[in-house]
Amino acid sequence: MFFRTQKINLSSIKQIELLASKIPDVVSLAQGIPSFDTPEVVKKAAIKALNNGKVAKYSLTTGIPELRETIEQKLAEENMYYDFETEIIVTAGSIEAITATLITVINDKKNEVILFSPSYASYAEAVKVAGGKPVFVNLTEKEYWRINFELLEKKITKSTAAILFCNPNNPTGTIFPKEDLMKIGKLAQKKKFFIISDEVYKDFIYIDQRPTPLSSGQATNDRQFFSLAEEPEFRKFTVRIFSLSKAYAMTGWRIGFLHSDEEITREILKTHDSLVTCAPVISQCAALAALDYADNEIINFRNEFNKRRKIVCDYLDELSSFFSYQKPNSSYFVFPKLLPKRDSWKFSLELLEKARVAVVPGAAFGPSGEGYIRISFGRSEKDIHEAFRRIKLYFNHQL
Amino acid sequence: MNLDNFYKKTIKFFLKWLAKFYLVKNKPYIIVISGTTNRYWVREEIAGILRERNFLVRTNKKNFNAEIGLPLSILGLSSGEKKISKWAEILWQAVKINTKEYAGKEYLILEMAIDRPEDMDYLTGIVKPHTVILTTITMIYRENFENLDEIANEYAKLIKTIPWNGLLILNGDDKRIKKLSAFFDGKIIYCGFEEDAHFRTFDIKKVLDGQEFKVEIKRKEKEIRDFKIRTFGKHHIYAALVREAIADNFTTPAKEFFAKISKDLLDVSGE
Repeated sequence: MFFRTQKINLSSIKQIELLASKIPDVVSLAQGIPSFDTPEVVKKAAIKALNNGKVAKYSLTTGIPELRETIEQKLAEENMYYDFETEIIVTAGSIEAITATLITVINDKKNEVILFSPSYASYAEAVKVAGGKPVFVNLTEKEYWRINFELLEKKITKSTAAILFCNPNNPTGTIFPKEDLMKIGKLAQKKKFFIISDEVYKDFIYIDQRPTPLSSGQATNDRQFFSLAEEPEFRKFTVRIFSLSKAYAMTGWRIGFLHSDEEITREILKTHDSLVTCAPVISQCAALAALDYADNEIINFRNEFNKRRKIVCDYLDELSSFFSYQKPNSSYFVFPKLLPKRDSWKFSLELLEKARVAVVPGAAFGPSGEGYIRISFGRSEKDIHEAFRRIKLYFNHQL
Repeated sequence: MNLDNFYKKTIKFFLKWLAKFYLVKNKPYIIVISGTTNRYWVREEIAGILRERNFLVRTNKKNFNAEIGLPLSILGLSSGEKKISKWAEILWQAVKINTKEYAGKEYLILEMAIDRPEDMDYLTGIVKPHTVILTTITMIYRENFENLDEIANEYAKLIKTIPWNGLLILNGDDKRIKKLSAFFDGKIIYCGFEEDAHFRTFDIKKVLDGQEFKVEIKRKEKEIRDFKIRTFGKHHIYAALVREAIADNFTTPAKEFFAKISKDLLDVSGE
């Protein structure tokens, strides 16, 4: 019984949130939820669609054509050319897009999916849901969380179905440079596996550090965000995924999209159809308004996150006896190392219990995340100040 | 009526009349692109070719193409969003725009979108186009229309507003759209894949970085040209065909042509 699901765990982030919800007056810096409300223009569009009777019925499985057309226009602005009729699918958030893609590309002969560690906690579980086996390739802080191709190549086998990664990476905030991504593209081309690129944080890039090559021994921070979906030579085996959850503060709307060459999307569509029939229509109407009219909000959110990033980093500097970290260049997470080295789960639970502050243990993001914690600065400034006030008290043994 | 509705109706009323006044006063040449999909890419293509030929071109801002967006596009103004004070400022700007004198013939390329049956009556009450381009009739608006024929009837209303010396460009592969030719006695151009299209495409190949295809142009003498675009999807081929149809029918105005020639001659530096 439950053969497939017995090896699947509830995401550690959700586990922590669940525990946190039972503790009164807890401050959570755990879940990656922006503190902002959905932009007004988006909410109004949803209300209008609702009142006009547009949302009661299914849309096409691929999504409402107007939305896909708008997505195509947006992609073209970013140097990505995909046909809205055959190459774009609107999904119920990015995780549905990821799962539908994994189910489509995993088969009996090719069932391994390469994941970076650390990377988003739910990837491994999604691979298992799709009947695959997650294979981790460790990224290390020493190498500035960049990809070690020697390790990566060793993990690629005949059974490799795909590589799935988040760029910019969650939880490290690393932006993978174009040269590394191109190498992945060439490897996928040669060894015949799919690339699944999850780019939900691409709008939150803070460009105050200059790019430096790995060979320089300094942190790499590519200022120019690049997607493999821009490269025509890789389009036949690259699936790019984007969600409106983070960029437009729409986590609860469960709306995102994927795009790829029509040969792949044609197959993914079958899985998407059997999973959800179509993305929620009210959310599709909201997404259309977001893409058309809410881009200014992204700029506001980014500026706000940048301020919060500074606040969190300042606190971590003050607590340098207990944490070391690399300043993230993107997303709204920082991934500090615990000093001295300790068990991340044990620490997170103790912090939750004693300081009433929720953070995510680094082990949730893969084996090389052990010894770290993820702190979200997506939460409000007030929450961040309060959380660090408590963390300081905790370290001063006043709690 | 709640306050929001009252403000909306007031803004809509003033925008409509200010846009109409602008059109009567300045008499721009108006090209309207309508249809359920592919308006944006057609708009971009024809704006591109007309600009290349030195026409003074203006298009919709963003996707401003309905009851409030269209007048704003005509006036070249942004939306006031939900701020009454901003809308008051926009209406004042619209008044000021209407007091100015503009030199040169303007070409307005406007997308027109309908969401429900009465929309077309409202929009054609503002704009009387000289050229209409109809892209597609798909199931996009099915919630507000009984069927696709009902949508086609709305487009017939638009076609009826074209003057006798105007131009109608139709998707030659859509039977519903082709039928709409019955509502116009002037020049009609069909674009598409079908044999009888005036601008017909064939030999389409999807290549790594886009699409390659041939276009047959049926004039007194047939002409065949090779095309390569960096985008994917049939709708981009339609947009390219419409671009060619527009290019064929809109030659550079003589005044601008000679102005450019003289400018180019004067620009030959060092000789």
